[in-house]
Amino acid sequence: MNKTVSINLGGYPFHINEDAFEYVHQYLESIRNHFSASDGCDEILYDIEVRMAELFQEHLKGRTIVSMKEVDEVVQVMGKPEDFGAEPLEQPTYQQNRDKSFKKGSIKTGKRLFRDPDDQKLAGVCSGISAYFGIDDPVWVRLIFVLFTFFGGFGVMTYLVLWFIVPEAVTSSDKLAMKGEPTTVENIAKKVEEEINELGDKISEWGKEFGSKKKRHR
Amino acid sequence: MSDVKLENTKAQMRKGILELCVLSIISKEASYPTDIINELKEAKLIVVEGTLYPLLNRLKDASLLEYNWRESKSGPPRKYYQITESGQDFLSSLKETWEDLNLAVNYSQSKIKQNEQNS
Repeated sequence: MNKTVSINLGGYPFHINEDAFEYVHQYLESIRNHFSASDGCDEILYDIEVRMAELFQEHLKGRTIVSMKEVDEVVQVMGKPEDFGAEPLEQPTYQQNRDKSFKKGSIKTGKRLFRDPDDQKLAGVCSGISAYFGIDDPVWVRLIFVLFTFFGGFGVMTYLVLWFIVPEAVTSSDKLAMKGEPTTVENIAKKVEEEINELGDKISEWGKEFGSKKKRHR
Repeated sequence: MSDVKLENTKAQMRKGILELCVLSIISKEASYPTDIINELKEAKLIVVEGTLYPLLNRLKDASLLEYNWRESKSGPPRKYYQITESGQDFLSSLKETWEDLNLAVNYSQSKIKQNEQNS
């Protein structure tokens, strides 16, 4: 016995088995994610839903319940998310392999030297170096550079060379690699969330500053 | 590795002429996407149907196509696409390019054949 769900797909009513419903839902979500950047996202999704509904009707030939079999057939015709250029739907085996590869010391291999644009006095070279070596406060690295400048004058040259050679950490995954956190989806999401919060703080700070400036002008 | 590249090249070629074919199908008469799909499938131009919808959307946004709704007996109203004036211009210049390319390909192929026969 199977539980069914009743759905409205592109204006057509269907009864669909629960497992098949989950799959269709995931399928449409993954296509939606892929097109979410374009203006016509909703429209494309609607057109695809209508077409899928038509195909379900053709494949059901008078039967009343959509099962996994029909869903498979229709996805075959419409194309998998990767045919649209979207992320493939996650399959259990793929997931397991990925998890394994993460456990194999990806922290070490993932670490790279970057310049840290979030904590810079000049170009972020020192804070990048301290992130690379796990030094909590970049002030020590900066101090070393300053000392080298006074004793022998290598500091400035070295700094300029590193500025030129070492890339700036631009993306979230760069920043994770700089600090040596493995680049997993969860970590990137965490990082992005942090950045959004930070941005929120900054904006409210600006707001306050702006407000106080206004007051001063009066 | 070479298989993967071959598939990629084929897909790129198909993609390039897909716009031309979609526009010329629609230029004949206002069409429902399913009809367009059937014609493209007959011509073996499209592998999976889903990729047609983003393309139609793009062409519509570029004002090369427009659509209107028509009632349908078996379900909700359907979108019928038709070509716009600028779409016609676009199509005829695409056709010219296609003919030039076609000539170029035929020419280079016949050269190769001639060389083979001579040697």
